Amino acid sequence: MFPQFGATADTLSKASTMVFRIGTDAHLYDDPDDVSIAPLLDSKFDSEKCEALKRLLALIAQGIDVSNYFPQVVKNVASQSLEVKKLVYLYLLHYAEKRPNEALLSINYFQKDLGDPNPLVRAWALRTMAGIRLHVIAPLVLVAVGKCARDPSVYVRKCAANALPKLHDLRQEEHALAIEEIVGKLLNDHSPAVVGAAAAAFASVCPYNLSLIRRNYRKLCEILPDVEEWGQIALIGILLRYVIASHGLVKESIMFSLQCTESSHSVKDGSDADFGQVKESTDMGGTCDYEFVNMVSRCYIEGPDEYLSRSSYANRESFQLTDEQFTSGKSNDDVKILLYSTSPLLWSNNSAVVLAAAGVHWVMAPKEDVKRIIKPLLFLLRSSNASKYVVLCNIQVFAKAMPSLFAPYYEDFFICSSESYQVKALKLEILSSIATDSSISSIFKEFQDYIRDPDRRFAADTIAAIGLCAQRLPKMAHICVDGLLALTREEFVTKDFGFGDQEAGILTHAILSIKSIIKQDPPSHEKVIIQLVRSLDSIKVPAARAMIIWMVGEYSTLGEIIPRMLNTVLKYLAWCFTSEALETKLQILNTVCKVLVGATEDVWTFKKIFSYLVELAECDLNYDVRDRVRFLKKLQSSNLVSIGQEEGTNDLPEKDLLHVVAECILGRQTRKVKAESFSYRFYLPGSLSQIVLHAAPGYEPLPKPCSLLLDDRNVPEGTSEIKKTVADYSGTDDYGTSSEGSDDESASDYDSQHSVAESSGSGRGDDSEFTSEGNDNADPLIQISDFGNASENQNGVSQSGPANLGELMSDRALESWLDEQSGSSNPGISEQSQVRISSARISLGDVGKRVKPKCYSLLDPATSGNGLKVDYSFSSEISSMSHLLVCIEVFFKNCSSETISEITLVDEDSNRALDAADKAADVNQSSLASSDNVPTLVPMESIASLEPDQTARRILHVRFHHHLLPLKLALYCDGKKLPVKLRPDIGYFVKPLPMDVEVFIDRESRLPGMFEYTRSCAFTDHIEELNKENGDSLFVKDKFLAICESLALKILSNANLCLVSIDMPVAANLDDASGLRLRFSSEILSSSIPCLITITVEGKCSDPLNLSIKVNCEETVFGLNLLNRIANFLVEPTLG
Amino acid sequence: MLQCIFLLSDSGEVMLEKQLTGHRVDRSICDWFWDHVISQGDSFKSQPVIASPTHYLFQVVREGITFLACTQVEMPPLMGIEFLCRVSDVLSDYLGGLNEDVIKDNFVIVYELLDEMIDNGFPLTTEPNILREMIAPPNIVSKVLSVVTGNSSNVSDTLPGATGSCIPWRAADPKYANNEVYVDLVEEMDAVINRDGALVKCEVYGEVRVNSHLSGLPDLTLSFANPSILDDVRFHPCVRFRPWESHQILSFVPPDGEFKLMSYRVKKLKSTPIYVKPQLSSDAGKCRVNVLVGIRNDHGKTIDSITLQFQLPPCILSADLTSNTGTVNILGNKTCSWSIGRIPKDKTPSLSGTLVLESELERLHVFPTFRVGFKIMGVALSGLQIDKLDLKTAPSRLYKGFRALTRAGEFEVRS
Repeated sequence: MFPQFGATADTLSKASTMVFRIGTDAHLYDDPDDVSIAPLLDSKFDSEKCEALKRLLALIAQGIDVSNYFPQVVKNVASQSLEVKKLVYLYLLHYAEKRPNEALLSINYFQKDLGDPNPLVRAWALRTMAGIRLHVIAPLVLVAVGKCARDPSVYVRKCAANALPKLHDLRQEEHALAIEEIVGKLLNDHSPAVVGAAAAAFASVCPYNLSLIRRNYRKLCEILPDVEEWGQIALIGILLRYVIASHGLVKESIMFSLQCTESSHSVKDGSDADFGQVKESTDMGGTCDYEFVNMVSRCYIEGPDEYLSRSSYANRESFQLTDEQFTSGKSNDDVKILLYSTSPLLWSNNSAVVLAAAGVHWVMAPKEDVKRIIKPLLFLLRSSNASKYVVLCNIQVFAKAMPSLFAPYYEDFFICSSESYQVKALKLEILSSIATDSSISSIFKEFQDYIRDPDRRFAADTIAAIGLCAQRLPKMAHICVDGLLALTREEFVTKDFGFGDQEAGILTHAILSIKSIIKQDPPSHEKVIIQLVRSLDSIKVPAARAMIIWMVGEYSTLGEIIPRMLNTVLKYLAWCFTSEALETKLQILNTVCKVLVGATEDVWTFKKIFSYLVELAECDLNYDVRDRVRFLKKLQSSNLVSIGQEEGTNDLPEKDLLHVVAECILGRQTRKVKAESFSYRFYLPGSLSQIVLHAAPGYEPLPKPCSLLLDDRNVPEGTSEIKKTVADYSGTDDYGTSSEGSDDESASDYDSQHSVAESSGSGRGDDSEFTSEGNDNADPLIQISDFGNASENQNGVSQSGPANLGELMSDRALESWLDEQSGSSNPGISEQSQVRISSARISLGDVGKRVKPKCYSLLDPATSGNGLKVDYSFSSEISSMSHLLVCIEVFFKNCSSETISEITLVDEDSNRALDAADKAADVNQSSLASSDNVPTLVPMESIASLEPDQTARRILHVRFHHHLLPLKLALYCDGKKLPVKLRPDIGYFVKPLPMDVEVFIDRESRLPGMFEYTRSCAFTDHIEELNKENGDSLFVKDKFLAICESLALKILSNANLCLVSIDMPVAANLDDASGLRLRFSSEILSSSIPCLITITVEGKCSDPLNLSIKVNCEETVFGLNLLNRIANFLVEPTLG
Repeated sequence: MLQCIFLLSDSGEVMLEKQLTGHRVDRSICDWFWDHVISQGDSFKSQPVIASPTHYLFQVVREGITFLACTQVEMPPLMGIEFLCRVSDVLSDYLGGLNEDVIKDNFVIVYELLDEMIDNGFPLTTEPNILREMIAPPNIVSKVLSVVTGNSSNVSDTLPGATGSCIPWRAADPKYANNEVYVDLVEEMDAVINRDGALVKCEVYGEVRVNSHLSGLPDLTLSFANPSILDDVRFHPCVRFRPWESHQILSFVPPDGEFKLMSYRVKKLKSTPIYVKPQLSSDAGKCRVNVLVGIRNDHGKTIDSITLQFQLPPCILSADLTSNTGTVNILGNKTCSWSIGRIPKDKTPSLSGTLVLESELERLHVFPTFRVGFKIMGVALSGLQIDKLDLKTAPSRLYKGFRALTRAGEFEVRS
């Protein structure tokens, strides 16, 4: 009676936990499959269904695959209980992609739910339906989204916006325009909640289509503060990109440093003249690191990968910004309104919004206004630990670029012991880059505290940071060095006892910092070197020792005292050489050599020491040491020789040469290396790439300044991505839509079209496949047949109706065109064979006569038991009784040796069994008048008797209830009842609708987007056809014809359509059928809605062709099914 | 956009997985993640953004539960992190805290909540008030009811009206017999006292928490007596920006129930309410510790639940610490915690004892940092004062209440 309670009591052994877990779903999670789920799913009680679904959910949560319940779960989608619905949706979305066929079953329920008066139900249905990633239902989803985008409920509209990226994700090009259209509509919504979601959709669907933003820019800026926080993030990014693309960068902002970049690159130091103005303008902001800022801003626009790869070569000039690409932030209203509307967002509760708003100000705001973002950014540091890290990563770049901004707030970067190591390291780095003369003393005091921190890695980093500070602020170098020296002394006291790796690291870091400080100004740090050398005895860490020894060699000639010490120091080093570690040994050898090269006095002693070391080192265990010493020995051979010969006569030139070489190699040549390596990568503030330091997929740098305006000015040359994508989209959508681009363009297109046609391809390689059909008509050379006449032949009842098409087309016309084609196949054409320039029409003569409707078997003589064979085929005849009825030709054949009598076919449900025939007349007259009352099967005239081998033919008028489900009929013969199934063929649920090409195209253009479905499939029938005609050179030209024929035949034999036209590309290569296009028209029988079919051929004549089938129809489900049917029968090989 | 959210227990078990887009993320990513957590320890767990070989991971850890979100494309990382924080806030609000059991027990609610909060990887409804209307939080009544009746629907049948309004944070038209607004100032004091005993940094991070039970569509204005002391502010979406910009007045239509109206920061405070004086002297392989705690300047309010915590340096073998007030505990991970409670009138609390260093060590060269905790009821240490709270369309009776509370935030004393 209480299933939950029972299960709880059984499964929970611990009574104590039961008290808390009672009434929760705990037992379901702990033991999800302790009862069998399947019967529960089929239960008629919602609560039991719920329990089953919860168990499934628990299994999903635990990572167990329960997709095998899919069919049973899907059934429950029809449930009225919202909880069941919700749970089913959760399950469905998890597995839909895995079980596409079963998922399709739920579509009808979604469609139904979409009409529900409860907005929650509508929204859920839309969300789930869009979440089922199936290409087949994409058109349905598109229609649903379009409908929901007009929904009165804000929530539903918001969900519609969210559904757009899901659709876009299926990458169905043909829907792209329709999706963008909806995005545009939703961006214009009056509810801020919808606009936010639409902005997110825009960012993922069509981020380049900034013209959508242009229309609403002001409104979007004004609505921005009211938009939901998550939408704000997306919207801010879009607005920023739009302003840069349309107005360019702001003169007063940091990005302006780009403008004077070239001079700074070529003459790094001598660019004062160019920088003059910038420097003046930044007086209030203090100093900033120009080179760094320049690099950062460049990376923002170009993307670091592009920038860095280019900077490694010498052609930095390829990217240059002119004055025109900058606008004044003070006078440009669009810039001002953007900054005005984003500035209150700096107070947002959502850190992502604050950072996004700060990013806009960083890029666009005049330098003096940038400081507005500082405090909000710093305040973000008080939010969660995770966001603290991300914010610091961004602040790090800002602080490096403009240290003056953050300098007064150094206290905010003081470190708490509870922070994570990453955060500490970032703070240290920021502190060392913003330290100023006034703040360094307090920062330094803090650093001294940090050195005592138990986290030794952090302590080591602190020491490195001290070194950096000293390098930035030479005035403080002495204090820093003193502190570091004290540290080395202090640390080595402990060194004798505890000797961890980390302590060694600290010492090494300290020496490294000292070394780098000394390098900046060696003469003033003479005493420091001396002190370090003195402490050599107590410093045991090899890396640290090696560094000090290096300093001895490097600064051996510095000042007065060091040269005098050298004698003793070298002796000491030689004495302890054998006990040293590898790196120290190598460094000792180097140092002695350096001293030897630079020595002026005591040369003899040094030589002695060197030869002593050489002897030692040549027997060293390590090959590196042995190699090094051999090399040095050779290099110093002149010096060594002179040891042996004392005052002997040397070969002077040789000695000099070697000496020079030695000096070159070992002598002082340390140049000031740029402290900052340029391996830094900079991405837009707030981006993921900025954190992971590589361009994450989908990362886009800022658009090129003013690129939007440039595009509008000269469209044909528009090479930017924006234009390209637009072109791509319209390329897939053949007509009409492309004219949206610009009107003045079409005129020129028209002209060029003509010239191309006349000269048969004089080398214009642009995208004139957009040509409207009107152009073709105007072109006498290409227009071959007259389609106005072709359609006259048509009448609805004619059995061979669709096939008569184009009989009027004279042979002569065709031949003349074919001749033209072969004649013009000059090199000029073959050169650009891939460019489809224009198309011509051809028509087929006798296709209609060759149409053979396919025959299906209704009753096999073997199964019938009495030798009756019944076949049926769909007839292209149109039922005269009702538009809901489909005509089927049924053939009865008696295969037995006895006479079969009383044969009739009736609807299985019908109770008027044998006397049906009597009522036939009745039915004909009365009930058919109203379509609601149409029977499933208009009773057929029964066959009284059928002699052996005799055949009889009957026309059956059938009403299928569904265009996919078979119809159950009962066949009576000899008083026996035999159940038979009549399978529908959607191809015959339509009737031919004759029309002109112009009408066709016009109608087609009125059924765009959601009413258009495409599929592609392969087609091979023509190969056989072509093989038959193989070898006959006369027929070579007719390959196209053969293809068209076999294609048309196939389609007309499988569906009741009307062939409207066949277009073929004029400039096509003889062997390339690409561009061939067949159009068929029809009308749905039951609703008289037109259904247009276009088939475009792609591929080589002799290979399997790739067909792209397009159906334009208002009735989406029907259109889709028809499309599938066509694709299916086209793939099937023709039998016989 | 986010592709998947995983909830991991503190032992690395995947408790829940919620796929958000069609591009499914395999669970194996969690194994990869946990392997790294084990091999790299805490430094990996504190990394909020991780680039794994296949996905970018956002990580938020709350009370032992790891919220892991995956994406493969560029998106604002803070958006992912902030969203995970919201999820954890909402969940702990719904479930009354977060731990492994409570999530497993209520996994259906967690699923339902996640489904409402995010759609196709983009946040959908994150406003707690609306969520509460859509999915009922588990409470005793509903639990009992579900046991008795066997019917446990917690999914609302109707769409909350607020989703459609331009004030999405407010449920449509609540009715109350008593109209009440409570405003709390909850402050946390962050301070750093360095080795020399100098106050390096002292600031207050505060929140204005409002609990409103008002009928209809109330329009409130709240003003401070001294708004100029506020250094930084952040607002709930309900606060109108322009009145604050011009007059520093908070004008808003409040959500129903409890919410955080604003958070603020007051920097450069001059003193702390209590002092902590640690003294450590070490020689001959030992270290003597002596810590004194006392009240620095009296606010007239009692200081409650004073605690002191510090991490013993790794080089310490054993510790013997005693105190004259309160209790001292040394936990397994070498954390020493001293809970004092209130400071007695007659004596100054002190902690003293010796630490024994590792055998090779003569002296201690790294020193612990003491983290201090306290609570003072009835006072806002920042000095911020609420001037008045007005309701535009005043109902007949309105009860207003104000409270203040200060706690220790990141209060650190170095030794």
